[in-house]
Amino acid sequence: MDSFGMFKVSASALEAQRKRMNVIASNMANVHSTRTEEGGPYKKRDIVFAAMTVESNPENMYGVKVDDVITDNTPPKMVYDPSHPDANKEGYVAMPDINIVEEMTNMMMAFRAYEASVSAFNMSKAMVEKALELGKS
Amino acid sequence: MSDGFEILEGLIRQAVIRNGVVASNIANVDTPNYKAKDVHFGNALDDAFIQLKTTHAQHLKGGNSGGSEDVTIETTEPWADKNNVELDVEVEKMTENALLFQAGVTLFSTKVKLYKNALGR
Repeated sequence: MDSFGMFKVSASALEAQRKRMNVIASNMANVHSTRTEEGGPYKKRDIVFAAMTVESNPENMYGVKVDDVITDNTPPKMVYDPSHPDANKEGYVAMPDINIVEEMTNMMMAFRAYEASVSAFNMSKAMVEKALELGKS
Repeated sequence: MSDGFEILEGLIRQAVIRNGVVASNIANVDTPNYKAKDVHFGNALDDAFIQLKTTHAQHLKGGNSGGSEDVTIETTEPWADKNNVELDVEVEKMTENALLFQAGVTLFSTKVKLYKNALGR
């Protein structure tokens, strides 16, 4: 049995949630970006998690990893703004189809999950510390 | 004489295993297709070494089901992403488990103290 496997589990969750937060932050920052390196408006990114076994203790403990970052290919939102430099002939601008409310919800979920994993980490740490004091009086 | 220590060791070991399992559930709270897992102390602690002695046919017997690492998969209704981890339940389990662990450690220390007293130290 590996007493430190539980730390790896919590640490993997913290890393994964932090990466999710980065993606959400990019989505929110680029809500009005009409130009990107690959051309066209910014496309929303989504993150996919997958459970992964933690080395040295494969049977009971599963950490989490970022399996993939997918690009959302829904067509851009057309907004009427003739004065915008990227407006087409009819005066419409292709804006990223990002719902700020959805991003905020995801952000809160990521934060709560992060918080829960920090608690789990602290709990594991307290347990190991107590175990080291076994037999002392 | 050393029986008590073995039982407490078992209790502490189980608490550590369960903590790892609950930590995995918390880590995978948003992982699609992940199913929550749990360890059942009832089964695990009914292991051979903790079985009660029965001197009468009508005495209740300690069971002998399950090994020391009896991990089960929760069957509660999953969310749309086929994940059935409920964060509040997991936090509750974690707290309960920590208290059990604390109890094990305290009992262990008390037992050590008992022997120290007996030895007159």
